[in-house]
Amino acid sequence: MSESAPAGAPAPPPAPPPAALGPARRTGAVRLLLRHPLGLASGAVLAAVVLAVLLAPVLSPAEPGVSSLRDAFGGPAAGHPLGFDSAGRDIVARLLHGGRNTLGGAVIALVVALALGVPSGLLAGYYGGWFDSAASWAVNLVMALPAMVVLLASRAILGPTVWVLMVVLGFLVAPAFFRLVRGIVASVRNELYVDAAKVSGLRDRRIVARHVLIVVRAPIIIQVALVSGIAIGLQAGLEFLGIGSGDTPTWGAMLNEAFKNIQRAPLLMLWPGLALGLTSGALVLLAAALRDVLEDRGAAPAARRRRTGPTTITAPRSAGACAGLLSVRDLAVSYALPGGGEREVVHGVDLDVRAGEIVGLVGESGSGKTQTAFSILGILPEGGRVCRGSVTVEGEEIVGMPERRHRELRGNVVAYVPQEPMSNLDPAFTIGSQLVEPMRCKLRISKAEATRRALELLRLVEIADPRRTFASYPHEISGGMAQRVLIAGAMSCDPRLLIADEPTTALDVRVQAEVLGLLRRLQRERDLGVLLVTHNLGVVADLCDRVAVMKQGRIVETGTAEQVLHAPQDPYTRKLLGAVLDHVPARRPWQPSNAEVS
Amino acid sequence: MLSFIARRTAAGAVLLFVISFLSYTLLSIPDIDVGRQLLGQGASQDLVDARNAALGLDRPTAVQYLDWLTHSLRGDFGTSWFSGEDVTRAIVNRLPVTVSLMIGVTLVTAVLAFLLGVWAGVRRGAVDRFVQVFAVVGYALPGFLVTLVIVLVFAVHLRWFPAIGYVGLTESFTGWLSTVTLPIASLAVGSVAGVAQQVRGSVIDVMRQDYVRTLRARGLPPWRIVFRHVVRNASAPALAVLGMQFVGMLGGAVLVEQIFGLPGIGSMTVNYTTRGDIPVIMALVVFSVTGVIVINLVVDILIGWLNPKARIT
Amino acid sequence: MKKSARVAIAALALLAAPTVLAGCSDSGGAAPDSGPKALSIATMTLPQSLDPKDATGSALPFFQAVYDTLVKREPDGSYSPMLATEWKYNDDLTELALTLRSGVTFDDGTPFDAEAVKANMERFRKGGGAQAKTLNDVKAIKVVDATHVTLELAQPNPAMLFYLSDAAGLMANPADFTKGDALKTKPSGTGPYDLDQNLTFIGTRWTFTRAPGYWGAKLPYDTVTISFFDNETAIVNGLKTGQINAALIQDADQQISAESDPKVKTVKQEFDFQGLVLFDRAGAVTPEMRDPRVRQALNHAIDRKTMLEKIRQSRGAITNQVFGTSTAAYKPELDAYYSYDPAKARELLKEAGHSGGFTLKLPRIAAIVSDALAASLQADLGAVGVKLVWEDVDAGSAIKRIFTDRAFSGLVMNIGQSSTDWVVVGELVLPGAFNMFGYTDDTVKELLPKIQGRDAQAAKAELQALNEHLVKDGWFVPFYRMTYLHVSDGSVTITPQDGMAVPSIYNYAPAK
Repeated sequence: MSESAPAGAPAPPPAPPPAALGPARRTGAVRLLLRHPLGLASGAVLAAVVLAVLLAPVLSPAEPGVSSLRDAFGGPAAGHPLGFDSAGRDIVARLLHGGRNTLGGAVIALVVALALGVPSGLLAGYYGGWFDSAASWAVNLVMALPAMVVLLASRAILGPTVWVLMVVLGFLVAPAFFRLVRGIVASVRNELYVDAAKVSGLRDRRIVARHVLIVVRAPIIIQVALVSGIAIGLQAGLEFLGIGSGDTPTWGAMLNEAFKNIQRAPLLMLWPGLALGLTSGALVLLAAALRDVLEDRGAAPAARRRRTGPTTITAPRSAGACAGLLSVRDLAVSYALPGGGEREVVHGVDLDVRAGEIVGLVGESGSGKTQTAFSILGILPEGGRVCRGSVTVEGEEIVGMPERRHRELRGNVVAYVPQEPMSNLDPAFTIGSQLVEPMRCKLRISKAEATRRALELLRLVEIADPRRTFASYPHEISGGMAQRVLIAGAMSCDPRLLIADEPTTALDVRVQAEVLGLLRRLQRERDLGVLLVTHNLGVVADLCDRVAVMKQGRIVETGTAEQVLHAPQDPYTRKLLGAVLDHVPARRPWQPSNAEVS
Repeated sequence: MLSFIARRTAAGAVLLFVISFLSYTLLSIPDIDVGRQLLGQGASQDLVDARNAALGLDRPTAVQYLDWLTHSLRGDFGTSWFSGEDVTRAIVNRLPVTVSLMIGVTLVTAVLAFLLGVWAGVRRGAVDRFVQVFAVVGYALPGFLVTLVIVLVFAVHLRWFPAIGYVGLTESFTGWLSTVTLPIASLAVGSVAGVAQQVRGSVIDVMRQDYVRTLRARGLPPWRIVFRHVVRNASAPALAVLGMQFVGMLGGAVLVEQIFGLPGIGSMTVNYTTRGDIPVIMALVVFSVTGVIVINLVVDILIGWLNPKARIT
Repeated sequence: MKKSARVAIAALALLAAPTVLAGCSDSGGAAPDSGPKALSIATMTLPQSLDPKDATGSALPFFQAVYDTLVKREPDGSYSPMLATEWKYNDDLTELALTLRSGVTFDDGTPFDAEAVKANMERFRKGGGAQAKTLNDVKAIKVVDATHVTLELAQPNPAMLFYLSDAAGLMANPADFTKGDALKTKPSGTGPYDLDQNLTFIGTRWTFTRAPGYWGAKLPYDTVTISFFDNETAIVNGLKTGQINAALIQDADQQISAESDPKVKTVKQEFDFQGLVLFDRAGAVTPEMRDPRVRQALNHAIDRKTMLEKIRQSRGAITNQVFGTSTAAYKPELDAYYSYDPAKARELLKEAGHSGGFTLKLPRIAAIVSDALAASLQADLGAVGVKLVWEDVDAGSAIKRIFTDRAFSGLVMNIGQSSTDWVVVGELVLPGAFNMFGYTDDTVKELLPKIQGRDAQAAKAELQALNEHLVKDGWFVPFYRMTYLHVSDGSVTITPQDGMAVPSIYNYAPAK
């Protein structure tokens, strides 16, 4: 087990960015945490508490155990800024020293829980097999143990000290860490970068230390904050039940003592209550902030309110001026930054799609193609907004349009085919219900009618056994099938314009060709306008009538597919064309990943 | 499904056996002289020894355990050493109290935590901060302080509810409701706070899933996306937490049962364990472990229902 | 803190709103048995069983409801007829002749007679119960005829009538003696009530309903419910909201809480005294204890006045003696024999050759020794050089550590002050639980026989001499008598029972 000395292992520098985690975690989590207002505040409170408690012997004017009954219940006096408790002991001294024991106890519980839970969780998750079975069984056992009986019995056996209780508590909460770590490790075990690490001959020990630990680090830190809060709260609760710490001063003991004198001196509750509440509150907040920062959940942006920032609609055009299906003029998209302010990622894009035409929007990833597509659909992620320009669909201005009206356009007029087929289907519903739902909603047809149409659509997208697929869950079908299902979904409400965002990149080459053929067929049969977002110039050559090349948020070149592919004007386009010749698949093909079922 | 339940039940039985053995051993170690406690300080040592022998305490722990096991397998949990009550009857009398609390709290938590968590996770902004603050406060306040405040305000001051006692569900429904409302509210503060946090997190995670964006792109109304798709997908992790809360509540119930003077099995556990009343504690262990096993099974089945990928066939 | 609490309350109020109405509208129905003829008593005593052989003084009300005692103890401590109508000692106090009430039968028709008394008492004596020792002096029980029985005593026992009004006097139906443990949960006596099995949840709530055809005067309540609680906070809250009619409150803070409600009626009683019982006067555990000057020094070292004021919030009276105010041995001036005088304490220790001080280890039972008491005793004794070390003992291990292992020199505890002198002597002076090392001295040896053979009033001088000797020789370190509060929700008049903390079941009546 020595190989997995967990949390202490230094973070190895440049590990390949794991897909499961946001990019933010690498760029100075501590700095981000400091910029997180709640994180900063709770961190500061905790730091102050810990410091005060550590310096108790220096800070405290009196000994926590020294009692002068004559002073009992006395108010603040010289050298005793908070006065005295029911036994005439100095409250400041008891708070500080009590904090030592309370927090020390929580640390012990944590150390025990981590020492038991993390290594076993790593091993069980990484190797599986008999160890996994045995450890999981043991964990089930610990979790089923009646905690109260175990706590009381251990206290009777080992003596009534706060330390014993906290060690036992650590033992009882260890399963939480085990389960957490085991679950995460098992799910990343087969991920690409671990595989790659294995191929390149790293030993298991290094893999665990380098790659696996990084993944579990953030959840463990969060769990640590929560468990310490629980330990502190539980200790106070036990004290109240008379299962306390004996003579050792703790915040729980202080609170319990205050409770016993609540009629005589209700204010005695204040200080230990405040200390307890503040500390566990800060821990919870810190956990939430850590989660936001480490798991990139974003600090509850007030973006929704700020979205009403200035949006300049470029001089409204008359319907006749843009006869096309889609017309984008001077579109700019910006994102709110966590620290305030905005960053523009799309700068003044012009684009047109006519009915029956396939237009390719080409560029490297990060060039703003997808942002452009999302703004046409009105589904920019939170924090993003159209800050300038005009988008018309069938002559109707979309920028500044009320959300309700815009929603009516989605599906019926503009439809969307996403990039990753698997992640774009809701895993909890059958394919059929995911097809039927929008049709019933948008077209207001009966369930039977919608079912009939869904089956028809599945046939339309060349699925061999529509009934079976209809009844399947997403994890039961292949990636190519899923993409066909998504295309069927996009087609379900007879849209005029299809926005396809890299519809084939996640598929292997043979399926790619089939899906592209399908798109082409649909476009012809139904006279669709298609905006095809892609980085793949081969696809463009196959499919597109016209092409717009995008770089760093700007369109650098537009023209017919012929022109752009054969006589590129812009050096960037030429570079892109050069890259295609290398025939390196830009992204790994999608693989069914239903091996892990927790 | 049936074979899954059968397998889990068998595993549960083994677990129960092992835990009962561990508990018996653990309970036998402390130096508790039961006979002396029963007869008081004044009784002669001979009398005490005789009483201990009558209770079978002069035999080795393993023999005592086997004796207990054979009896309990026949459904006979014996009588309490300290109060003379029939153990099964005593527990069956008290079980409805604690179970009322646990189910009540779980229902309240499920509803409120989901509403709050979904609200915060979907709306973010000010709502999110409000829910966060509530969650933190509810979590940070020591449980017994919350309970005391609730008793003082709603029972002693406002007289809306009785301060103590329990009326059986079979005796009077409204009576039952009025006696369990405050205890449930006291317990719910912490658990709603905890679960709401979890739901919020899951909802935020789900809201960022690609399929949610795709659903939006299909033109579905937001409430429909949230209540049909987001909630269902966010439920599985929240349900796991809820299940753990339910299991952990046996501990929290002790406090509430004491303050509200409720004759439940939480306070029973504490009182009888401190005295070393092994027949009662062992039966409590059996009941609570069985409860945990059943709850875990139910949670797993529910999670499977919510998440087809984890479904058991 | 305050604000957050308010937020939590507001949130809860929302949550509770729909059920509030239901709770309100039903406040009458929720307690169907709270009519004028029902009495609900709260207790913190859990009886081991309802078999008389397991009876103890503090659980007596449970038993009084179902069983009658031979002798009835009146609230003022005097004895009056119950199942025995007359009693008479012979001249040397070794024979007690009882005349029994005739015409009393148990529920199944079994008559109550001399044979029943004999069967009950012999079973009690050999039953291994905690109080079995109280009949140790009974040599034989002679049945004279159906209504006459004579107790032959090995030696005079001035407390015998007390015992017959207590656990030893409870009379159960002899027909049940052969039914194994039946009496433990299905008590059967001649008493004023029957245990209602349907409404009784042993361990939490016992409901007694009026016994049809009770031989004696009817008690005022049709039903009496005794509920067990493990903390006084719940009891006081229940009193305030009317779910409990009567209870005894010991804790000073809870007493204040109860008094704060204008509806609640209270009656004060001084019963328990709190103090340090020194068993180790022979110095078996702590050799220093052997010297009376050391024990006197301990008495001088503690500041009783401050303790009473701060710990009991002045609810009680300082005392230096173990005898209660209603005993013959009581001497008012002994209450203040030892002044708070640390200098004198140090002086006495020095004289005894312990100027360097010593260590005293005492068990701490958290329910009795509060934080304040523990800390202040430590401080007071520390100030004169005695290092007091507390060892925490659990409810489970306390009795074994203290009484079986005999690991300590003394014990801080609350002891009830009986009004029967000989009960006090038996508990604290004779060899036994609280004199576990069997210590005695010449003065005690000389005085005891003179006391034992006589009525308490007759032996008043010797009793007072004994008391004075115990105080001056430092047998104990009493702190103060504690004022307990009998509280009712206003609907009940409670008459305290002399020599007992909990009132007899006969002492409750509807308030007028």
